[in-house]
Amino acid sequence: MSGEQVFRSVTCLGCGCGCDDLEVRVSDGRIVGLAPPCPVARRWFGDGSVPAEISVDARPATLDQAIDAAASLLAGATRPMVLLAPDLTTRAQRTAIALADALQAEVDGATSDTAASGILAAQRRGRAGATLGEIRNRADVTLFWAVDPRERYPRFLERYAAAGSATHASSRVHLAVSVGVDRGPARAELAAELAPELELEALALMRAVVRGQTFEGVPDRLRPVVAIAERMRQGRYVAVVYDAEPGRNPRDDQRADSLIALAQLLNGPTRAALVGLRDGGNRSGAEAALTWQTGYPMRVSLRGGQPRYRPGRSGVDRLRGGGADAVLVAGAGAALGPLSLESVPGIVIGPGASAVAGARVAIDTGVAGIHEAGTGYRMDDVPLPLTPVLAHPHAAGESLELLLRAVRGRAR
Amino acid sequence: MSADRLRIVGGAVHDPANGVDGEVRDICIEDGRIVASLPAGVRTLDASGMVVMPGGVDIHAHFASSSCNHARRLIPDEHAADPVPPPSLLEGDARSGSGGTVPTTFTTGYRYAGLGYTTAFDAAVAPLLARHSHAELDDTPCVDGGIFVLMGNDEYLLRQIERGERDRARDYAAWLLGATGGYAVKIVNPGGVEAWKSGQRNVTGLDDAVSGRAVTPRAILETLTDAANALGLPHPVHIHCNNLGVPGNAATTLGSMETLAGRRAHFTHLQFHCYGGEPGKGWASAAGEVIQYVNAHPELSVDVGQVMFGPAMTITADAPVEYLLHSTSGRRWTNIDIELESGCGIVPLTYKEKAAVSALQWVVGLELFLLSQDPWRVVLSTDHPNGGSFLSYPALIQLLMNRTVRDDAIKRLNQKFLAGSALADGLAREYSLNEIAIITRAGPARLLGLDTKGHLGVGADADITVYSRDPDIATMFSTPRYVLKAGRVVVEEGHLRRAPAGRRLRLAPGYDDAILGDVRKHFEAYSSVSFDNYAVRDLPGEPLALGGKS
Repeated sequence: MSGEQVFRSVTCLGCGCGCDDLEVRVSDGRIVGLAPPCPVARRWFGDGSVPAEISVDARPATLDQAIDAAASLLAGATRPMVLLAPDLTTRAQRTAIALADALQAEVDGATSDTAASGILAAQRRGRAGATLGEIRNRADVTLFWAVDPRERYPRFLERYAAAGSATHASSRVHLAVSVGVDRGPARAELAAELAPELELEALALMRAVVRGQTFEGVPDRLRPVVAIAERMRQGRYVAVVYDAEPGRNPRDDQRADSLIALAQLLNGPTRAALVGLRDGGNRSGAEAALTWQTGYPMRVSLRGGQPRYRPGRSGVDRLRGGGADAVLVAGAGAALGPLSLESVPGIVIGPGASAVAGARVAIDTGVAGIHEAGTGYRMDDVPLPLTPVLAHPHAAGESLELLLRAVRGRAR
Repeated sequence: MSADRLRIVGGAVHDPANGVDGEVRDICIEDGRIVASLPAGVRTLDASGMVVMPGGVDIHAHFASSSCNHARRLIPDEHAADPVPPPSLLEGDARSGSGGTVPTTFTTGYRYAGLGYTTAFDAAVAPLLARHSHAELDDTPCVDGGIFVLMGNDEYLLRQIERGERDRARDYAAWLLGATGGYAVKIVNPGGVEAWKSGQRNVTGLDDAVSGRAVTPRAILETLTDAANALGLPHPVHIHCNNLGVPGNAATTLGSMETLAGRRAHFTHLQFHCYGGEPGKGWASAAGEVIQYVNAHPELSVDVGQVMFGPAMTITADAPVEYLLHSTSGRRWTNIDIELESGCGIVPLTYKEKAAVSALQWVVGLELFLLSQDPWRVVLSTDHPNGGSFLSYPALIQLLMNRTVRDDAIKRLNQKFLAGSALADGLAREYSLNEIAIITRAGPARLLGLDTKGHLGVGADADITVYSRDPDIATMFSTPRYVLKAGRVVVEEGHLRRAPAGRRLRLAPGYDDAILGDVRKHFEAYSSVSFDNYAVRDLPGEPLALGGKS
């Protein structure tokens, strides 16, 4: 390919912000330009080149050979597992779940550890949420709880929390609470710092303030959060922003639960929504598709032929513990992190599959939204169209469809 | 070609759209449609002694939306109690799933087919999330389906109404239907959801200013009703009135109907909008008053939204109602504010015979059915899953057809708010099979403008349900002997045997594309999604022609 092509309104799945206003320049089969200049988007798109190998037992193979080998391996397993890794379109994820159903496998998102506490808390309580545009248009008060979005979600502030055009919010007040080394934004009208062991107590106190209770004898170290809670009560529309993905530092598992409760309660005296920042790669889409097909957003066992919820332990964790005798990883192999497939027969169909150590079958595919068209979900469950800017010889969705047909064919 | 030809013989046919009331006659099918005759020797299906009706048409349910998916997440307990193995299909691939009040998609399709329903509409989809609904519909087999698009709190529309730009509002509505693959214009609590999001909390009167602006619920009703009618949409505007679930709300409902007098409009889940009494002072039925108005106004149609005792899931764009339900009951509550368009509220609920309000709601719904004079304009619905699951339709049909069952049930109710109600005083009416065929298929198909649904005349889609007669009406309607979808037998001897993909029923009305520049500017100023990425791409099938030919 020669000459430069320009793609506009391109969606980026580099983080959960799902910015869909990117301009991507392509020349000679490579991405050569990206605007606006977001570091996460630059990492996500790179130059667009990804491997395009297919292998069976570490030897080059055709797609047909790989599908056949994968189907044999899965058909012979008694405890198969399907892991939905990121970087797939929702259609490909749906096919992977269909595979799990056909195989009576366990199925989980490869990244379910990151979101589990928030998902489980929302199942217990429900939640008060909003789409990100609603935050942009209405939130006059935003509390950042132990997160500065600029680090991992560089355009969040610009797109969803900044001054600028909005239907309702004519002014913006930012509040910040830092918990241990997890810092809120430096510039905030009110700020508080909490030792990690005080976090839940502080949130309980803030809920009481939101209920309208007054206190005497609040310890000095908690006075700042009382002031923040009082300021929130005065807002017209309050956004509470936290990081639903793990940072470098451990955090209390009850944080999500307490923040959900706080955001729900704020809807008495004012209006409020909780925003859980999520990492990229269509992980919200995987949870959505799992929910509409099985009834559960993660950690589903289809063994026995019907969905059962196994929320206590992630698929990756079960895999590490020997909980499967074959695994299909649908999506980016890199999501498995240090986990290798040396100890369990594994198939990887997705971007970078050939780089996963020990995979018996590897089919490198394009990346959703770079090489493959379809739908990806933003972290607020808004589905967005994905515009491919480059070609790749193997599409994840089609490869998974071929495998599904092969698996079903063997079952008949 | 014999596989595509079938003659259903010996059944008592109830095809009210063609004036057929229980006559024994053959139904001939070729290539998925009903034909006048077939040569001798074609395959037959013996329906002797059985009842033959068109496939059921659900005019108002919530089963394929982002809101439903949020609701599914709230009920792992219900799903755990109702795991669904894949059905044993003769052909095609079967999927497992979960049931409960909000089943998973494949299970929803299977269960609709198992009930003899072959067409269903999700009645509340925010445009921004239409892409999600279409993905769920892709995974909902056995039923032809579509979505109603929420417009009654849309920021762009409110601005046009405020400026008196009614033509532009009409063109925007047309564009939005096409962009989202929608079938009808839906209004939910006009202005009230915007009020909830703005801090006004809600609107209560038809002339309340919405968020302090020069726009009122009445103006929203008028604008969108006129838009739908001017566009010639097959189904008129589908209205969920203000003040749902509030004592005394019948006055608002009647006021809304009077506002639209002479204009074609559909009022949905009317039961939730027919209460007398006063907030804080008690409840009463006002069903008689409201249905009398409907009876006298042939331009209006309604579906009932019957409450059935047992577990339910309230899912609605009427988010302020759900906050009220949560804050008074302490139940789990999900709220999602949807930018520029709508809202979403969800609270699980159980209706109990011994609870005074539940009992009144049950009575109000039945009064609407039993006091209505024109079954063609009063459709059976439970607002699934708000008033109860669609799986409770057979029990509801039994209540309508059998006074004894109904009277026995009344005796078990909490009587607190029932004094003076027509039902408690005794209503003798019992629906006939033909009337049931009208309120469950012929009527809704006609109101939806689906010319090839809801009847068994030549050219109709061969969506057909065959019931074995049973003295227990609920049993008869919950276990059809045969169900055909587009001429193919999907339920055989009561078992699901095939699960074909359904068709998408959607429209793409024409509009003056001069509005697009202005709409684009609106998106650029306020939307978090680029205008270029807003319309749903790659929708299945073609949009229906605006003559309503399905």
